[in-house]
Amino acid sequence: MFASVTSVALVGIDPCPVRVEVHVGGGKEAFHVVGLPDTAVREAKERVRAAVLSSGYRFPFRRLTVNLAPAEIPKAGSAYDLPIALGVLAAAGLVPPAVTGVVALGELALDGGVRPARGGLGAGIVAAGLGRPCLLPPGSAAEAAVVGEAQVRVVRTLAEAVAVALGEAVPEEPPAPPPAAAGPAVDLAWVRGQPLARRALEVAAAGGHHLLLVGPPGAGKTMLARCLPGILPSLTPAEALEVARAWAAAGRPRPPGDEPPFRSPHHTATTAAVVGGGSGVPVPGELTLAHRGVLFLDELGEFPPYLLDALRQPIEEGWVHVARKGVSVRFPCEVQVVAATNPCPCGYAGDRLVACTCSPAGVARYRRRFSGPLLDRFDLQVVVSRLDPAELAGPEGEPSGAVQARVAAARRRQDARAGLNRSLSRRDLDALSFTTAADALLRAAAGRLALTARGWDRVRRVARTLADLAGSATVEEGHLAEALTLRVAA
Amino acid sequence: MSREARLRLAFCGLHPERARRLVGDLGSPGAVVAALAAGRVRVPEAVRATASLDAAVCRRRLAALEVGCLLRGDPGYPPHLSELPDAPDVLFVKGRLPAVPGVAIVGTRRCTRYGLGLARVYGQACAAAGWPVVSGLARGADAAAHHGVTDAGGVGIAVLGSGPDVVYPGEHRSLLAGLIAAGGALVTEYPPGTRPEPWRFPPRNRIIAGLAAAVVVVEAAETGGALITAAAALEQGRHVFAVPGDVGRETSRGCNLLIRDGATPVLDPADLVASLSLLLGPPACPGEAPAAPPDAAGRALLAAIPASGSTLEAAAAASGLGLGPALAAAARLEVVGLIRRVGGVVLPGR
Repeated sequence: MFASVTSVALVGIDPCPVRVEVHVGGGKEAFHVVGLPDTAVREAKERVRAAVLSSGYRFPFRRLTVNLAPAEIPKAGSAYDLPIALGVLAAAGLVPPAVTGVVALGELALDGGVRPARGGLGAGIVAAGLGRPCLLPPGSAAEAAVVGEAQVRVVRTLAEAVAVALGEAVPEEPPAPPPAAAGPAVDLAWVRGQPLARRALEVAAAGGHHLLLVGPPGAGKTMLARCLPGILPSLTPAEALEVARAWAAAGRPRPPGDEPPFRSPHHTATTAAVVGGGSGVPVPGELTLAHRGVLFLDELGEFPPYLLDALRQPIEEGWVHVARKGVSVRFPCEVQVVAATNPCPCGYAGDRLVACTCSPAGVARYRRRFSGPLLDRFDLQVVVSRLDPAELAGPEGEPSGAVQARVAAARRRQDARAGLNRSLSRRDLDALSFTTAADALLRAAAGRLALTARGWDRVRRVARTLADLAGSATVEEGHLAEALTLRVAA
Repeated sequence: MSREARLRLAFCGLHPERARRLVGDLGSPGAVVAALAAGRVRVPEAVRATASLDAAVCRRRLAALEVGCLLRGDPGYPPHLSELPDAPDVLFVKGRLPAVPGVAIVGTRRCTRYGLGLARVYGQACAAAGWPVVSGLARGADAAAHHGVTDAGGVGIAVLGSGPDVVYPGEHRSLLAGLIAAGGALVTEYPPGTRPEPWRFPPRNRIIAGLAAAVVVVEAAETGGALITAAAALEQGRHVFAVPGDVGRETSRGCNLLIRDGATPVLDPADLVASLSLLLGPPACPGEAPAAPPDAAGRALLAAIPASGSTLEAAAAASGLGLGPALAAAARLEVVGLIRRVGGVVLPGR
């Protein structure tokens, strides 16, 4: 009269087991689904009834109650069709109770077929945790196969699912995940010239610093930004799984690979698309898709101010809270921000050949749009100039792999000390050791270059990273001086 | 009586050419003012009303604005300007107008980095040599030249195409105040309240040239105010210098044409000062020593930065230092005020 099958729901990006409990009892014929289901889940009963009948089973036309526990987590989508159907069959005694010893997920077709549904990766993680086999439709199985310990079984129909759950059929093996791409998606070797920007990129990667690229159109700002993931340390398997979970929560399976993600939301994107949200169960936005990777904001001045404001706190904290009716979830977003902007609306202020056609007031207005609190978060700023034809034809630059090795060495020094230099607090910075000459230069610069308190801290953070890259335990005057040149100037 | 009439005529703010023609036709400024007030000359209603103002009212308005007025022939009226056939009859002046001719530095409003950097260093070099620097307070090259004067703490003269109380463009208000405070002057032939209409500027340019012994055109397209100033300078017998630019660059075409037609090409600031000293006498040597003598790397980097500025990368490559040491050297030079950074460009000087 009662049966329960395990399935999965997401809380933020974390998969959480859901018990699909089915009770078949006497009384007036009815089919109720309770436990915070959304419309798609409530419609499951029609699909389940048709699929059960089409698969050649009798359907128990009695009082059916389906509860999705825990009832407080909102459930969305069509993924509960398969577990509900298995539960109905077992509770009605139409198949042996052993059928419920699995984790199942999938949408049912009216003819009894099983279609892919969101949450395959979560199902794999839950199944691995419980040590149970995991029944998934073909389209969702590849995602779950990323979890090494999961026993993934591919099922194409409800009848096949019953047979596989009972061990009566030999299950189909999940498809092998596509091989990870070898080498970075965009290699730094393809960037010609731009020694200053390359240096800034390396420093940004080594210390996790947020980087602002300023330059005219066509200078290669986007290309440079795309190179950053390739020189960041590769993701550990645990980190890669975390990133995969974030992507799965957004409904886009991420191809395997250990390169940190790179996301580049357009400036016309909505706040929900960038920070996460949506109606019903909140879905992570671009910010979370860039978790443990790079968030690239191209044309920073074009982003609406409210969007930049919405980004500020999550970037600082590494978490974004999204609240919707009755639900509040937390998505991770430890991102490194790279922003690019033109120096002025026409883009040619300070260009060697082309005259800027903007009025000074227009330039000031443009700068104001992204100055202020968000600009305060950038530790590094570098001006990217357009290349001479001679440089375009020049030799290839140093490949990403060589830079990545230096970055990794610098990161190891930071890990041994106090963690990523980006997050060094003022107290941490005060505790760092600077040579007397470095200290004197910093004091002179504070007066002469009108450094703010925050600017002072940023210069010290970057100087520490430069010292880490050089393998020096003390921050020397040369490191501090270079950090001053790479600072964000007003 | 005639002084009063000349002031009243200047307050009418007619096009200088027209005012001169009217005086020729009617005989005297007094007759012109009377004809204007009586409506015998076709002018806008506002001009007619102004023409009937009493000279004492005009003087009170000038006093309230702290603007002085110099009539041609007055002791304070610059003799080098006075010698021009079309010299303005009345000059409105705020600040101190030097008695000696200076150097005019002009250029297009739509300047590239090249022109902006050069205008500033030339302005700085001429001001440091003790010569007054004349320009038009416009955006672009003019403002950069004025900024150079401010950097050097020299004497700068801004000649406006509007009334002495109408600063155009408005964002240069503080620049102008700085020039006047440092011993320079604002000069215009237009009365208080005159709006900066486009036709006011070409006549203004003859004053810029007239107040100078030489005109330096930093960057100019084929048409534009800078070339009008250069033409006025040639007419007045002033020396014209032009800064050569890339042949393909739109905003250097005017300068290159001037050079083709016989203007003296200008190279670095030292070259300009050497040429000008033949016209203006030996430069004063303030002999200001740099704040702190740079180290070897600093000297190498400083030597690699041309007067027109360059990108940090180019300077680093030219200095022969590695990128890291060059970046560090740049910060040290910036801290002691030997270079400054504007956007991605480094320029010598503070």
